[in-house]
Amino acid sequence: MFACLYQPLRADLRRSVLENIAREFSPRYERHGDDVVTIDVDGLERLLGPQTAIADELRREAADRGVRVHVAIAGTCAAAVILAHARPGVTVINRGEEPAALAPIAIGILERVECLRRVDDLRPINGHRRSVRDTPDPEAVEMALTTFKSWGLKTLGELAALPPADLTSRLGRHALVWQALARGEDIRPLIPTLDEERFESSMDLDWPIEELEPLSFVLTRLLEPLSTRLERRDRGAAVLHLLLRLVTRGSGPELYARRLELPSPMRDVRTLRTLALLDLESHPPPAAIDRVSIVVDPTPGRVLQHTLFTRAHPTPEQLSTLLARLAAVMGQDRIGAPATVDTYHPGAFAMTPFKTDHRAAPRPQPPAPSLQPPLRSALRRCRQPVPARVALADGRPIRVTTDRRGFAGGAVVHRAGPWRTSGDWWTGSAGAVGGAEQVGGVAEAVQDLRRSVLDTPERYGARASARGGGPPREVKNAGPHAFNRDEWDVALSDGAVYRIFQDRETDAWFIDAIVD
Amino acid sequence: MPLPRADLESLLRARHLDRTLTTALPPVEYDAAACGITALDVHLGGGFPRGQVSELVGPRSSGRTSLLHQMLAAATARGELVALVDALDMFDVESASAAGIDLDRLLWIRGHVVSNPGMCRDLNQRALEQALRAFTLVLQAGNFGLVAFDVAEAPTHAIRRLPFTTWLRLQRMVEGSQTICLLVGSEPMARSSAGLTLRVAMRDSRVGIRDLGLGIRFSDRLFDGLNIDARIVRSRSRGDHVCLPLSTVAC
Repeated sequence: MFACLYQPLRADLRRSVLENIAREFSPRYERHGDDVVTIDVDGLERLLGPQTAIADELRREAADRGVRVHVAIAGTCAAAVILAHARPGVTVINRGEEPAALAPIAIGILERVECLRRVDDLRPINGHRRSVRDTPDPEAVEMALTTFKSWGLKTLGELAALPPADLTSRLGRHALVWQALARGEDIRPLIPTLDEERFESSMDLDWPIEELEPLSFVLTRLLEPLSTRLERRDRGAAVLHLLLRLVTRGSGPELYARRLELPSPMRDVRTLRTLALLDLESHPPPAAIDRVSIVVDPTPGRVLQHTLFTRAHPTPEQLSTLLARLAAVMGQDRIGAPATVDTYHPGAFAMTPFKTDHRAAPRPQPPAPSLQPPLRSALRRCRQPVPARVALADGRPIRVTTDRRGFAGGAVVHRAGPWRTSGDWWTGSAGAVGGAEQVGGVAEAVQDLRRSVLDTPERYGARASARGGGPPREVKNAGPHAFNRDEWDVALSDGAVYRIFQDRETDAWFIDAIVD
Repeated sequence: MPLPRADLESLLRARHLDRTLTTALPPVEYDAAACGITALDVHLGGGFPRGQVSELVGPRSSGRTSLLHQMLAAATARGELVALVDALDMFDVESASAAGIDLDRLLWIRGHVVSNPGMCRDLNQRALEQALRAFTLVLQAGNFGLVAFDVAEAPTHAIRRLPFTTWLRLQRMVEGSQTICLLVGSEPMARSSAGLTLRVAMRDSRVGIRDLGLGIRFSDRLFDGLNIDARIVRSRSRGDHVCLPLSTVAC
C-alpha cells in the first residue's frame, strides 16, 4: 500500500517538511517536487493499525509541523497521488478498488498531477529503463490530453474504458500510459529518494593468490560483513560483482571482473561464495590476484512464508547453487526446464531457464480412479535420426535394419502410416535431416536469444513481459530447416516399436523415435 | 572367538555398512507417493517409496517411459519439483506435455551419452559418470519430489562398469529424505540397494483391436498403444510380487 501527502497551499510550502514527515514513517519514500511525497506504508499495519489509522497519523504528524496536507492511501502509487490531488482530507482505498475510486474524477486532474506528467517519471516502466526513443514527448502528452477532451471524455473512468488497441492506433503507445494512470495502475515502481547504501568490500593481499581454495577464505571474509549489512537493511543481493586485481608483467595492474546475476535476492554467505567460486572455476582469472573487491547491487529482501500443507521446495539459494554446479558439470546449455514450441517440426522443443522461485501449489484432490487419464505412450527421441535400411513392398515397409549398435531391426510385424509432414519450406534452407542441430545463422540467433534470457528483467519472480508478452525462450532443436517426410509407426519382430520416416528430398530412411 | 551374527550385524549397523544386509535392515516408516495408476498404487502400498532407490526396468517399447512420464506428471500435479537426468538426451517434450507434466516444475538435465560412440569407447563411460555426478548433485540438493536417472537406452556394459558402491552411496544419500530416487534402465542395476524394482514388459496375451500376439495395438491405419505387464520384482516393504496388466494409449 502507498500513501501520498499533497500540500495544496504553496504559500506554506517548505522544502523538506513533507520529506521529514515521510522519513518518520518509512525509509521507502519518494519526493515528487516540493509539494508531493509518496510513501510505501506496507508493514505499518502492525505498528499503527489499519490503513485509516495510518492516514490519520500522517495527517496528525503534518498538523503538528504546521502543514495542512491531503492524505490518500491506495494500493498503487499512481492512485494515491491522484486521489490526494482530487480529494481533500483523508482518503483510504482498499487494494483493488482503485479503478472504481478514480472513475468519477474529472479527467482534468491529469493536468494538475504534475509529478505524473513529468517525463522523468514516465521513463521507467515495469522496473526496467526504457530507451530514450521510447520516452514520451511532452508535447505529444499535452496533445493526447487535449485530444481526450476533444473526444468528449470527462472522467478518468471514461478514459479507462477505451479499448487499448484503438487508443494506441490513434495516439501512439504513450496514450496507454495515461490510460494506465486513469485505471490507477502504476507505470513504474516507487523509487526511494534516499540513495541506496553502497555495499562494497575489498581486501589487499600481501601475497598474491593463485588458486581458488585460498580465495574462498578471502571471499568469506568479505562476504560476511556485506551479508550482515544487507540483513540490517532488509536487502538481498541482486547482482554480485567480483573485481580481482591481477598481478601481470605488463605496464600496470589488470582488473578481472566477473558479474553474477542472481536469480533471486539472497544474502547467504555460503551460497554467494559457492556461486562466485563456481563461476571462477568456469572462468578462471589468467594471473595471480593481489586485491579482491566485491560489490553488491542490492534489492529488497525476499519474504518467504512456508506452508504447513505442502511439501517443502528447495530454497532459491539451494536451487541457484545446484544450477550453477550442474552448469559446471554438464554445461550451461544442457540444463533447464523444457518447453513446447509452436511448430509442427517433429521433436522440436525449447529450453527455458529453470525458475528458482516456485510458488507452492495447492494440493489437489486425487481424481477418482474412473476419471484418471489413461497412460499415454511416450516417445524417446533420437536427436540425431538413425539412418536405416527399409525394404518396401507395395510402398509399405516390410523390414527395417540399421548398422547402429543397439538397433537390431527386423521384419515389420505391423505398420501404421504414412503421414506426410512438411514445414519450414518458406525459410528457403534445404533441410538437414531431422533438423536436429543448429548451424550458422541459427546458432547466432540462439546466442542472441540466450543473451536476451540473461538480460531479461524476469529476475526475482517479477515476471516481466518481453518479446511479445511471453517469457523469453531459448529455442532449441527447432532450426528453420525445411522438412518434408513420410512418417510410419512400425512394430518389428523383435518387439520394438519405432517411428521411422522417409525424407522425401533424399528418399533416405531414418529412425526418428522409439515408442516406449 | 567368532562373533555371533547379531553382534556382527550390530557392528555393521553402527558403521553404516548395513545396506548389504537386506534382512537386517531396521524397519523404516513407509512414505509413498502415488504414481497416478490406481491399480499399481494399491499393490505398491500407496505408490513409489520416498527415501529409497526404486528401479523401473524393462526392454525397449515396454512402456518404461510412459510410466516415467506418468510418475513425473503425478508429482508435478502435487506441486512438487522433479528432476530428470536424461543421460542419452532422448526425452520427448511433446510426449511429456501430453502426459500432463507441468514442464515448469521439471528440471531437465541432458546428458552426453551417445548410442553410437564409434571408436571412442570411453566416451560413453565418461558421459555416464558425468550424468551420474549430476544425479548425485540433485539428490544432495534435496527437497525434490522425484529425481529420475534415465539410462534406459544406455549400453548395458557401460552401466555394469559402474562400481557397485555407486548405488549404495545413492541409497545412503536419499535415505530419510522425501525424495523418490528412480532409476530407469533395461536391466536392474542397483541390486541390493534397491528398495523397489518394477519390471515392465510387453504383454503376450492377445488383447487389442487387431490381434498381434505382441501386446501392440494397431487399428487400421493408426498405432493405438501398448499392452504391458508391470511386475513387482523386488519390494522392501511389500511381499506380494504381483503382475499387473496396464495399457497405454497413443498420443
